[in-house]
Amino acid sequence: MKKTRGNKKNLFSKFLNKRETSQRLDTRRKKKLVLVGTPNVGKSVIFNILTGTYVTVSNYPGTTVEVTRGTGRFNQDAYEVIDTPGMYSLFPITEEEQVTRTLLLVEKPDIVLHVVDAKNLERMLPLTLQLLEAGMPVILTVNMMDEAERIGRSINLDKLSRLLGIPVVGTAAAVNRGIDQLKRMVAEYVRKRVA
Amino acid sequence: MSGNVSPDQGFALQYDEPIERALTGIEKLLKARYTFSKRMIALLLLQEEAEIIKMAQLREASFPQIFAIIQNTRSKYKDPLRYVITLQRQEKANDILSQVISDSKKTTRLQSVLDRITIQPLTGIPILLVVLYYGLYKFVGQFGAGTLVDLIEGNLFEIYINPWVNQFVAKTIPWHALQTLLAFDYGIITLGLRYAVAIILPIVGTFFLAFSLLEDSGYLPRLALLVDRLFKKIGLNGRAVIPMTLGFGCDTMATLVSRTLETKRERVIATLLLALAIPCSAQLGVMIGLLSGRPLALATWAGFVILVFLLVGYLAAKIIPGEMPAFYMELPPLRLPRISNILEKTISRMQWYFLEIVPFFILASVLIWAGNITGIFDAIINGTAPLMQALGLPTEAAEVFLFGFFRRDYGAAGLYDLQKGGVLSGVQLVVASVTLTLFVPCIAQFAIMIKERGWKTALAIAGFIFPFAFLCGYILNLILSLLGVVL
Repeated sequence: MKKTRGNKKNLFSKFLNKRETSQRLDTRRKKKLVLVGTPNVGKSVIFNILTGTYVTVSNYPGTTVEVTRGTGRFNQDAYEVIDTPGMYSLFPITEEEQVTRTLLLVEKPDIVLHVVDAKNLERMLPLTLQLLEAGMPVILTVNMMDEAERIGRSINLDKLSRLLGIPVVGTAAAVNRGIDQLKRMVAEYVRKRVA
Repeated sequence: MSGNVSPDQGFALQYDEPIERALTGIEKLLKARYTFSKRMIALLLLQEEAEIIKMAQLREASFPQIFAIIQNTRSKYKDPLRYVITLQRQEKANDILSQVISDSKKTTRLQSVLDRITIQPLTGIPILLVVLYYGLYKFVGQFGAGTLVDLIEGNLFEIYINPWVNQFVAKTIPWHALQTLLAFDYGIITLGLRYAVAIILPIVGTFFLAFSLLEDSGYLPRLALLVDRLFKKIGLNGRAVIPMTLGFGCDTMATLVSRTLETKRERVIATLLLALAIPCSAQLGVMIGLLSGRPLALATWAGFVILVFLLVGYLAAKIIPGEMPAFYMELPPLRLPRISNILEKTISRMQWYFLEIVPFFILASVLIWAGNITGIFDAIINGTAPLMQALGLPTEAAEVFLFGFFRRDYGAAGLYDLQKGGVLSGVQLVVASVTLTLFVPCIAQFAIMIKERGWKTALAIAGFIFPFAFLCGYILNLILSLLGVVL
């Protein structure tokens, strides 16, 4: 269902964006944004929201694991968005994790968007810490905020951002909440790093 | 393009002193450039991650010194460094989160007590037995397979529907062939639909209800943790617990899930065990229903199948050696299930299941009818008579295995029918049940096996299981009759 929604948007916006793409946006200038996180945290939903123009699904060389790539345009910038297979740790156990880590090593992303489930932050923050230890340019996306609130959980995102020293944004991607803020943060982050 | 910020700046998590010293040492020796920070490379080296070790061996001139540091640090800890580092990182994460998260609903005292006693083996195993006794034996076995089946099959079908259908068909349809397609011994209505509605539905319905209750209460992961200890004893990876537990719901799904296992070897072992010795919910329900009239027979069946599982698992793990990594699992809290959820789940599962099996059962009825008319059916049954004899079973039992080819639960339903007719003794019942449990996986599961493991492995597994199931039945029959056991 998620996929269909993305595809519909595809067809629709393909025509609108096509000309703009070839003229104004030079592929060499495209920033690389990689989505990482454990399975079932809403990575694909966020991917579909961010891209929606052109999507390729391919097997990563030498494996059967699928990596999805697309182009996202927001805040006057173009991004190559890469959705990765689920990963629990930088110490890979499954083939999926292996592929994601190799991808991080090879692709040299400009932004790593670590998507986590707000209800299970305890289990997922260690990967954020590892990405930071690895020196990755991380933005932490605390997704499913609505569900967390429903079970009586509140998270001080500002404080979390201060403690980790990275941008943190709360979203509920399934209902499109926090997405604008996420896009703004991505744009801001890129600008800061270039400066 | 993106190299404008070096990965070696910024965030560093503090580990304990020996690890920090090792990290500093390794970082100084690292000369090559990596996309990851040197600190992360050092951390992965310290945890002896295979790929990074290989990379460092190639690229670092001072790898011997690095390796000496790793060995030296490793000797300072009782646990593997990977475990130590993961634990310290988790502590740091918890420390950060405790400052930013506030959960308004806290767990009660009762909850934490229950949490503990369900995983401790000393209290967990008796609790498991109680759950099995009331949840499966009493509710599914006696209520579902006994009371409900008697009501629907004994009253509704035997007294009203079947005689009426038989009579109606005999009167209105002049052709004998068509008569037997619809009614009498192997008719679509009198056999196919009767199996589906009168035997399978009540048993599977009660089983799904019990299963949903266990699922929603958060008990299943606890069960996995409990079994994990046993798994490790026989040399199986603890991770395999998850697909195995899922297998009790649906083996097909579980075979799909086995792709989360670490190595090809473990996936093959899990696929084999799922196909061989883990009965799926439908089959388990019917088996329990079938045998619950004779508790001793039920115990023998369960004991023997568990024995086969452990033995084959042990041997398979022995034949294909490899390391057994540590196993971490998230334990969700125990919850009071919501009745509406449980009912919804049970009903939708029953619906899905029923829609799936009815065409199968009808198709099987038609095939059996065709086989009967052409004489192929009888030929097969007579042909397998020596095999049945070897198992100490009456010739009629061959029908059951033929049914079982279509779906295991269809075969089990056939067994149910035979038992009700009083054809089988206790020993024969157990032998037939064991053989049928171990026997070929259902068509869907086999299809997934091919998809996930490839033709060769899937065929090899099936080729092993088929004779092995009968061998087990043969051996069990031999043992039971030698001992003169009456069940």
